Amino acid sequence: MRSLRLAAALAAAVALAGCTRDTLDWPKRAPGERRGGVLRLSAPDDVPTLDPALGYDTRSWFFEEHLFETLVAYDDQAALVPGLAERWEVAPDGRRYRFALRNGLVFSDGTPLTAADAVGSIERVLDPKTRSQGAEYFRDVVGATAYVEGGAPHVAGLRAPDARTVEIELQSPDPLFLHKLALMFAAVVPVERARALGDDFTTQPLGSGPFVLREWRRGERIVLARNPRYRIADRPYLDGVVQQVGVNPELSWLMFESGELDVSGIPPADFPSVMRDPARAALTVHATALDTMFVGLNCEMPPLDDRRVRQAINYAVDKAGVIALLNGRGVEAHGIVPPNMPGYHVDLAGYPHDTEKARALLAAAGHADGFTTEIWTQGTDTDLKIAQKIQQDLAKLGVGLEIKSVAWSSFLEAIRQPKTVPVFDLGWSADFPDPSNFLDVLFHSGGANNHSFYANAELDRLLERARTMRDERARFVVDAEAERIIVDDAPILFLYHPITYVMHDRRVHDYTIHPLLPSRLTDVWLEPE
Amino acid sequence: MRYLIGRLLWSLVILLGTTWITFAIVFLVPGDPARVVAGPRADAATIASIRRELALDLPMRVQYARYLERVLHGDLGRSYATRQPVTEILVRRLPATALLASAGLLVAIVIGLAGGLVTAPLAGTWVDRTALVASLVVLSAPVFWLGLLALYYFGYRWRLLPLGGAGDVRHLILPALVLGIGSGVYYARLLHTNLVAVLGEDYIRAARARGNSRLRTVAVHALRNASLPLLTVVGLDFASLLNGVVLTETVFHWPGLGRLAFDAVLNLDVPVIMGTVLLSAILVVATNLVVDVLYRVVDPRIRLG
Amino acid sequence: MGALLVLIAIVGPSVAPYDPAAAVAPQLAEPMPPAAPFYLGTDDLGRDVLSRLLCGARISLLVGAVAMVVTMVIGTAIGIAAGYFGGVVDVVLMRATDVMLAFPGLLLAVALVAVLRPSVWTIFVVIGLVSWTGVARVIRSEVLSLRERDFVLAARALGARDRRTLWRHVLPNVVPTIVVIAALSTSGTILLDAGLSFLGIGVPPPTPTWGRMIQEATSYYRAAPWLMLFPGAALLYAVLTFNFIAYGLLGGTRAPGA
Repeated sequence: MRSLRLAAALAAAVALAGCTRDTLDWPKRAPGERRGGVLRLSAPDDVPTLDPALGYDTRSWFFEEHLFETLVAYDDQAALVPGLAERWEVAPDGRRYRFALRNGLVFSDGTPLTAADAVGSIERVLDPKTRSQGAEYFRDVVGATAYVEGGAPHVAGLRAPDARTVEIELQSPDPLFLHKLALMFAAVVPVERARALGDDFTTQPLGSGPFVLREWRRGERIVLARNPRYRIADRPYLDGVVQQVGVNPELSWLMFESGELDVSGIPPADFPSVMRDPARAALTVHATALDTMFVGLNCEMPPLDDRRVRQAINYAVDKAGVIALLNGRGVEAHGIVPPNMPGYHVDLAGYPHDTEKARALLAAAGHADGFTTEIWTQGTDTDLKIAQKIQQDLAKLGVGLEIKSVAWSSFLEAIRQPKTVPVFDLGWSADFPDPSNFLDVLFHSGGANNHSFYANAELDRLLERARTMRDERARFVVDAEAERIIVDDAPILFLYHPITYVMHDRRVHDYTIHPLLPSRLTDVWLEPE
Repeated sequence: MRYLIGRLLWSLVILLGTTWITFAIVFLVPGDPARVVAGPRADAATIASIRRELALDLPMRVQYARYLERVLHGDLGRSYATRQPVTEILVRRLPATALLASAGLLVAIVIGLAGGLVTAPLAGTWVDRTALVASLVVLSAPVFWLGLLALYYFGYRWRLLPLGGAGDVRHLILPALVLGIGSGVYYARLLHTNLVAVLGEDYIRAARARGNSRLRTVAVHALRNASLPLLTVVGLDFASLLNGVVLTETVFHWPGLGRLAFDAVLNLDVPVIMGTVLLSAILVVATNLVVDVLYRVVDPRIRLG
Repeated sequence: MGALLVLIAIVGPSVAPYDPAAAVAPQLAEPMPPAAPFYLGTDDLGRDVLSRLLCGARISLLVGAVAMVVTMVIGTAIGIAAGYFGGVVDVVLMRATDVMLAFPGLLLAVALVAVLRPSVWTIFVVIGLVSWTGVARVIRSEVLSLRERDFVLAARALGARDRRTLWRHVLPNVVPTIVVIAALSTSGTILLDAGLSFLGIGVPPPTPTWGRMIQEATSYYRAAPWLMLFPGAALLYAVLTFNFIAYGLLGGTRAPGA
């Protein structure tokens, strides 16, 4: 066995040294048709996993979105629309959901996709053996605890009365449950196959999405091909997608410029010149992501326990300058909820850059001469750049900020410890388009990610009230009130919402950036050469 | 034979030592592997169930013992991050690194032999002095800086070679040069010193007196004797070559083991960290063993007793 | 050469034209090429490269020097103990050295920094912990040969205690070797520190170490090559200086490290 492996390794070495150009066959294109062609993309790192129960990083997500589908889905504006389910009903008590699957659904290998698969997929996420981080979203399903803690063979609240009906029963009403079902964690997989493959489902995924996995050469490339059995007849237009792996942003850009790639991000060093050239700028697409970048301020650690100090920091930092560092690829954050998000609070003023006001607030708090504290970052290029910019701005108030860059694992652990990390650099991306996904998680005194250790009883009450409200509009009003309190208390330094830019080749059409999801290639088409 | 068995036993002890130290250090890193598996959003219940699944709540001794037991059965575990078997990951990444390292070593040996052979007969001349200063300059340059310079000139300005990544042979040229040049000039100086010493010895003079050409004398007679110490150094140098690999792979985005190990340390992917450390320790130990044996083969004065 | 280096390290920060951490260029995210008044250009955060280079001299050399001392202390202690006492002590210490040598040092350093949290002090210690092995080996073989020399044998025969023999007879005789290795080791520690900085885990910013400056410049190496060119040249100069010193101490006969 060992010698075989060595032989394989040597063979691979020879292959690597030799030529590994594209040897895949693709169908010939009929002239004048939209259909056909292969889109060439690149990525810096390989995909961690293709199992939708596991991959929650952006790399995995991109592929999962193309290989799998969920019962409910999002349209281009991130509004909920039917997915695998053509319609659904919610019982008046808000606890029971009933979904009717579309007719004739099949996985890409032709086996029928049934309600049992939909139910089993969620059960698989809950199963501790799967070690899915998505388990928490479905823990409120009736019988989930009995299943997880052992004993129960199935989750009582997940039922498939017939092949096309899915019933889900929750312990308490959850106005956000449909959003949770739109997460990739709830993607419908062929359950028997996934169970049988175990950890290997990650490399041999099978779903009902617009594409199928054709080839995955680790560390080299991932190739998707059109799913001929996709439920929408004339989609996708593309025959396939080739993503070359191990291409850093610099290299990606140079390959794009020499015509080896169809789409690429734009490195900071090249961005200004691209945008100054109207012809090239016209080939860029951009969208403001449903993300907020911020700097956490630990409300339990003096002098940050004083609200005036936190406000002073918010006034002192020049957000426009931070965005300038990113070549203008960002929108100033006035609050925590990103623009484009339903429930975004347009008239929130936030903290405009005002060094004098900051100085006055600091003096009022008894720190006219400033103080020293430390900011923890994960040490990526952008993190460090921004941390140094904040450092420059705070230095003007006499506030010394030491930068500590620590590895991701240590960072995650440290920010959870009380009174350990005074200031930290973090971002938050929406899991689903609802303000609660920012407000509750980050600022409720019991929130799983309230690393500012911020506690405000009035805010907690408002947020708890909002969670029981099923009328979305009324809920957004309460959420807005909650956000105003948060901004006023300033448990974080509100920075910016990033804008994603990519540039594509002239031949590429209908390539868009989704505010919430990775770019979807279902509607993209290539002009024939 | 006894000697060999003893050496092998010591090699085992070294492997045990390295894995144990690594395990202990990783255990001390202020981070929770379960948290890394679960991601930043996971709640306490999810983390707890992952901790149980991975047996992370056991004492370190027990975890290490279990790890050793699995390793003895050929199972290096699965990556926390990607769930793939570590063996598979290593086998996939090893070729790229092996290719880079051997190309680097080849560059080093070629530079070393050529440099030593050319400069030794010229010892004391201006050519020799220039070569000395040049080699000191090369030895003093940070390897990642050389890499960036090479990328800037050969890749970007002159468009001669690719700007990084793996692919055909052209992708290999710059990383191999950058990786090997430092060791190369070092070997060259070493060989130079030894050759100069050997050239002064009687049997070399005798060979010259017998009418052998200068070049032939150097190449055949002197080289054989002068290359012995070099062999040891090449063996010892292997570990530092692996250091260079991490930096070179980073600069050139070479998809090898160095980057894999580095990322695994940052992400606390314990099975991958252990796997790469074990693999590189085996490589270092094996190289030393081979060099030792070779040494005894080349030089009959030392017997494999 | 060495004098200039030390001079820059001492007066560098005070002759720097600007605050090395402050944004002085008119724009952000577009580094300016070398031209008056920024003679070596500015970086993407609008800082003056010359000022950063001058201030970086002190910290880069300090890290190199202190880490060298740590390396030398550990390496010499272990080398002398192994060589002088021999027997079991020697075997145990040398096997421990072999274990350390089997590690990819850079990765060990990365892991240790993660355990100890990054700071200047951590860097001192970590570099010392991963680079003492070579020193220990050389000192050991030196002591081994000394041990058999007449004056040591005589001292021991006359009943001198080990500690006294070590201090009076062994240590003074290895000092010349120690000095040479120290010079070499300094160039090694400077490079290792630069490597750590390049991987993003060296002395934390905004302290402008030369290695960190190169790391920050990597994403601009095409658009603004001066950002990586100057700190790299500075590193080269510093390391070269120590290599020359070592070479000079060896009497110009051997290559450094040989």
